[in-house]
Amino acid sequence: MKYGDKIIYMEGVITEIHDGCVEIDLKGRLGCLRIPMRMLISDYPLKVGQEVAWNMSFIEQLGPEVNDKYKRRVRQ
Amino acid sequence: MSITAETAKEHAKDPAVLCCRAEEGIVIQAANLEDPAIFDDLVDSNLLTLDGALTIEQVLGAKLLKTCDSLTPLTADLLEGISAPEEEAPEPKKAEIQEKPAAMADSVQNAVSGCGSVLKIHIGEGKDIHIEMPMGFNCGAAALTPAAVPVQGESIAAAPEDLPRQEKVLRSLMRKHYKITEVRRGPQTKIEGTVLYIREGIEEEAVESQALVHRLKIDIITPDKYHTYSETICDVQPIAVKEGDAELGSGVTRVLDGVVMMVTGTDENGVQIGEFGSSEGFLDENIMWGRPGSPDKGDILIKTEVIITKGTNMERPGPLAAHSATDVITQEIREALAVLEDESLVADTETFEQVRRPGKKKVVIVKEIMGQGAMHDNLILPVQPVGVLGAKPNVDLGNVPVMVSPLEVLDGCIHALTCIGPASKEMSRHYWREPLVLEALHDEEVDLCGVMFVGSPQINAEKFYVSKRVGMWCEALDVDGAFVTTEGFGNNHIDFASHIEQIGMRGISVVGMSFCAVQGALVVGNKYMTHMIDNNKSESGIENEVLACNTLCPEDAVRALAMLKAAMAGEEVKKPERSWNPNVKSTNVELISQTMDETITLVENEQSLPMSQKRKEKYD
Repeated sequence: MKYGDKIIYMEGVITEIHDGCVEIDLKGRLGCLRIPMRMLISDYPLKVGQEVAWNMSFIEQLGPEVNDKYKRRVRQ
Repeated sequence: MSITAETAKEHAKDPAVLCCRAEEGIVIQAANLEDPAIFDDLVDSNLLTLDGALTIEQVLGAKLLKTCDSLTPLTADLLEGISAPEEEAPEPKKAEIQEKPAAMADSVQNAVSGCGSVLKIHIGEGKDIHIEMPMGFNCGAAALTPAAVPVQGESIAAAPEDLPRQEKVLRSLMRKHYKITEVRRGPQTKIEGTVLYIREGIEEEAVESQALVHRLKIDIITPDKYHTYSETICDVQPIAVKEGDAELGSGVTRVLDGVVMMVTGTDENGVQIGEFGSSEGFLDENIMWGRPGSPDKGDILIKTEVIITKGTNMERPGPLAAHSATDVITQEIREALAVLEDESLVADTETFEQVRRPGKKKVVIVKEIMGQGAMHDNLILPVQPVGVLGAKPNVDLGNVPVMVSPLEVLDGCIHALTCIGPASKEMSRHYWREPLVLEALHDEEVDLCGVMFVGSPQINAEKFYVSKRVGMWCEALDVDGAFVTTEGFGNNHIDFASHIEQIGMRGISVVGMSFCAVQGALVVGNKYMTHMIDNNKSESGIENEVLACNTLCPEDAVRALAMLKAAMAGEEVKKPERSWNPNVKSTNVELISQTMDETITLVENEQSLPMSQKRKEKYD
């Protein structure tokens, strides 16, 4: 990783809640995240519309190769 | 930031560094010093060097000779009136023991050198001393522990009425092993000799039993077919049945050897059942064979591939339906196993006894299981080993601690739905062969009183609610020591830390066990988390998506027991290093094998498997 140490404070809004995961829209239309429940630390019962925050960095491409196995799954 | 006098005392032996600018002539107090907890970061980033720095206990009360800036390490040339370090204080007392009653000192030393060296007796000066200890406390070296030691002409008699306290067998469990060498399909589910037949068409009944299940396919994977593609592996289960009316955890259990059930599946859209990391791919590349929870090399896998309603893979009913549908097939095999009358088919028997050892250090195992919902759930105490019928999901039980006997654990009282990261999840078979329970049950130096399962809820308030119950349980049980284990990583580490805190604050020694290494580093900590065992086996310290790679193994159980015994004996455990260092584990293992005089064989990791494309590109 070339820029791995650039940490940025991000905020988002919970848009979907499932028993095993939640979906979060990043504020400012910067994309969305779907994360497992256990990776979300929560003090209150989860509700759609609640705001969340975390630190993250930019996502970097690791190389030019295509992993066929993952490609197949994306098609599914 | 400056520290308090209390913190200064805790860190008496740590380097002294000024927290802010200090003028010439002042007398150094705790408030002038920086918190040693942050030094590692500063040293790493070259903002601080600690060469020649005195310790906090040395500088307190000394006069500063020169005005210094913040973050200046206090060295001898900057101060006047440095106090001498207090470290040798306990030594003269030790000498005293050896000087005064010579007979006593000799006997004690003999006892200590017996084995393990955890028995420490320290008497400053004594008269009328009564020492009582159970026979065999010192690894059975009873002869080395004198019953009466004369001191200054007066005899020390151990109270004979209390010695020795008898071991008590509470219950026993027998496993009868039936060897299976071949699995075939046939008109009826039955066992003939070492061949298991599964009824043709049973799939339809399994599908019909669950509204959410659309299709179910059975694959019989023999060792020559291990290089087969599979959807993500949700669970690996032993096939076992209780004999007669015996309840789980006692009586006789019949189990099939050489064959296991494996639950796999996706939803209608082809999305894996399970969480984000999944173990789909070629079986031989994605299973860490021989882990307590996984299949052994050579096992025949009866693999179900369950297709559930689209979108239900992340909802509670989805994974449960896949498991329940598979259990229709397992249950029919169980029934066929239960009616076998030919005793000559029993290849082997194994008996487990739940022994209470009054007078030994009493310990409890607290196993944290997932309870956030969906696949983060476990069915507790089914009627049949690892069954579904009769069991209660721990999410429905409110995740509160449930106490079970060690034999119930080994008899399949947990049907695990947990599809957390594949490498660290504990599958149903894991509990069937739980290494920590087995080690503690067989260790004659401890008195294992029970195994407590506590769920890990999603919300913090609920996490603390259940961990307080764990603390209360341990207090009520009056245990001397506790193990706290958890699977996976993520927000379950919050309650994992809280369990340890709740137990530790009651003065009970506690050892925590979890996969941590690099990727699963703990998100929280507290001052009671001083004794930790890392379950990591992977080369790079990560969740490598290889099934059961980083789960609790016998080598971890041995380390945890040794550490808990040391903690209960009041021995100090060194602070961990700043970042994950696999050598800590190997040093500990070496120390234990030297002390115990027995070789501890370490299990292999993913490097022993054929390299999958996924691993090659993603991880190693």
